[in-house]
Amino acid sequence: MNINNYPEIKAGKDFISKIYVAIMLWIVGRAIQAASRVDKEVKKEFAEFPADFMMCMSILPFGPHMVVGKDKNGKVKYMGWNPQGKKITLTMNIKSMAAAMQVFTFQESTTTAFAHDRFTVDGDIVQGLAVVRVLNIVEVYLLPKIITKLAVKRYPKWSEMSPLRKWVGRIIIYVRAFTF
Amino acid sequence: MILPSYYEYCCRVKTISGYKALEQIPAMLESMHVKKPMIITDKGVVGAGLIGIVKKAMGAKVKIGVTYDSVPVDSEYKVVNEAAEIYRKKGCDSLIAVGGGSAIDTAKGVNILVSLGGNNLLNYAGAHNIKQKLNPFIIIPTTSGTGSEMTNAAVIANHDKNIKMLFASYFLLPDIGILDPRMTKTLPPFLTALTGMDALTHACEAYFCLGKNPVSDSHAYLAIKGISENLLHAVKNPGDMKARLAMANAATMAGAAFSNSTCGMVHGLGHSVGGVCRVPHGNCMAIFLPYGLEYNLHKCADIIGEILFPLAGPEVYNSTPKKERPERVIELVRKMNQDLHDATGGRHPRFLKEILDRNGAQQVPKSALPAIAKTTIGDGTLVYNPEELTYDDAMLVLEHAWEGTPLNRKKIKKGRKKVKW
Repeated sequence: MNINNYPEIKAGKDFISKIYVAIMLWIVGRAIQAASRVDKEVKKEFAEFPADFMMCMSILPFGPHMVVGKDKNGKVKYMGWNPQGKKITLTMNIKSMAAAMQVFTFQESTTTAFAHDRFTVDGDIVQGLAVVRVLNIVEVYLLPKIITKLAVKRYPKWSEMSPLRKWVGRIIIYVRAFTF
Repeated sequence: MILPSYYEYCCRVKTISGYKALEQIPAMLESMHVKKPMIITDKGVVGAGLIGIVKKAMGAKVKIGVTYDSVPVDSEYKVVNEAAEIYRKKGCDSLIAVGGGSAIDTAKGVNILVSLGGNNLLNYAGAHNIKQKLNPFIIIPTTSGTGSEMTNAAVIANHDKNIKMLFASYFLLPDIGILDPRMTKTLPPFLTALTGMDALTHACEAYFCLGKNPVSDSHAYLAIKGISENLLHAVKNPGDMKARLAMANAATMAGAAFSNSTCGMVHGLGHSVGGVCRVPHGNCMAIFLPYGLEYNLHKCADIIGEILFPLAGPEVYNSTPKKERPERVIELVRKMNQDLHDATGGRHPRFLKEILDRNGAQQVPKSALPAIAKTTIGDGTLVYNPEELTYDDAMLVLEHAWEGTPLNRKKIKKGRKKVKW
C-alpha cells in the first residue's frame, strides 16, 4: 500500500467570511467597551463581574476571536483579537464559521443561536447570560430597529429605553467605538 | 412538526424499565467491569426501606463499598466534597445514586470530583468544564419527577451565596438509568404530586421553549400524555404499580426532552425561589407552570395549543376550536394543580403564599420576591424562554404567583409576535 495515495485532506478556507466576522467582532468588542461607559444597564451588568473578568468570543476551530475584559482600573476594555497569553475566565465559542455568519448577518438572533446549540460556554453561565444581555443592548444601539427586531426577543419599549437615551447613546457609542 | 434550522440532540443512557428491573444491577456492574460501588442516597430513602430493596435485588455477591445517606433536601457542594472524600477512602470504583433529584445531583457532583480529581466542586461549575468520561454510574430514581437520570446537568446549591450552581456536560449523563416501580411505590401522595408536576413542567417547557426540536418533542409529547393519564391516579392509588411505572417512564422521557431542549422561565423562577427560600423544586414548578404558559402565550400560542392533545386526549382536542386550545391548556394545568391540592388534603400548594415549612410557617414571604426576581435574571434558562424576562417582568409574575391570581396579561411587555424557530 502506498500511503502517498491517501493525502491529508485539509479544510478549505473561507477568507471572505472570516474577514467579515473578524470585522464584526472588532466592532462589537469596541462597542461593548463604549457601551460600558455610556449605558447604565451595561455598566450595571459589568459591575457584577469579578475584577479579573476576561471574556473570549471565538469562532471554532481557528478563530477569529474577540477578547473583552476588565483592566487594572476595573474598566471594561476591548483587549484585541488574540487570546494568547491572556487569563480568560469566560469563553463563548460559536461552533462553526457558518453558524457565526448566521449570527453576524442577523439571520439568527443570539438567543436563537444559543437555543440551537450553536454556542458553547466555558465558565460561569450566569456571566455568559449577562454577556448575551449586553450583546442585545449593544445591538439596539448599533443597528437600525428593523434589523435589531430580528436579533432580539423584545425590542426595548420607550419606558425601558427612551428615544433620547437611544439616540444620544448610539452617537456616543459609534464615536467612541471608531475613534478611541 | 417544527423543524429548526439546526439542532443537536444527545441522550446515551441505557434505560432499564420494569417490575423487576433492579435485579439487573449485578449484571450491569459486571458489564462495566466494576466491583465496589458507592451508594449515594438520603435518610428518607433509607427510612422508606428502599435501600434494603436495592441491596436485596443486588444479591450477596455484589460488594458495596459504602452507603452514603447524608444527602440533604437540597444538594449542596460541601456535601459533595465530603462524599467524594469517603468514596476515595473506601476505595470505591463506581457510583449508584438512589433517590430524588438531590441524591442524583449530589452523586453527579461526587462523580466529577472522584473522576477528575480535586477536593472542591466549585472548580468545575458551569457548562462544558467537564471534558472527559467519568466513572461508571447508575441512577435509580425514587421519584417520578426530576428526570435527572437522563439529564446532562446537575444543580447543586451554594448556600454561602444563596445560589444554585449549574454543572452541564454530556459526561454527567449516567451509564444506566433503572426504573423500577418498587422505588416509587412508597412515595407519599403530596411528593408524588409535586414531583409529577415537575416532570410535566419539564415536558411542557421542552415543548414550547426555544430549544425545541423534533426528537425531544416526541419524548415531551409522550411524557405529557403519561403524566396526564397517571399522575392523579398514582396520587390517589399509591400502590398501583402500573401507574407508578408509567409515571417513572414519563418522568424519564421528560428528562430526556428537557435535557436537550432546556427549559425556560418556569425553571428560572423555580431555581430562584429554591435558592432564596429553600422551597422544594417541584412545588415551584407546579405553581409557575401556568404562569410560564400565560406569559409566553403571545409568542407561541400554536405550540402551546398542541399540548392539549397529549394533555386532554383526542376528543377534547378535536372539540376545542384551535384558538381556544392554548387557553384550555392553561386552564387544565391549573385544574390539575387544584385536583392535586384536593387529593393531598391541601398539601400540594397552588401559589407561593401557600407554601409552608415543616413548622407550618410561610416559606416564601412577600418581602423575598425582589431577591427572587434579582436571582432569576441571572438564571441560564432564561435564554431559552420565548419572551424576554427582565426584573420587572419577573416581579409581575412573582406577585401574581404569590397571590394565586391569573397573570394580568395587559401588563406583559410583548416582543416580536411569533417565535422564529
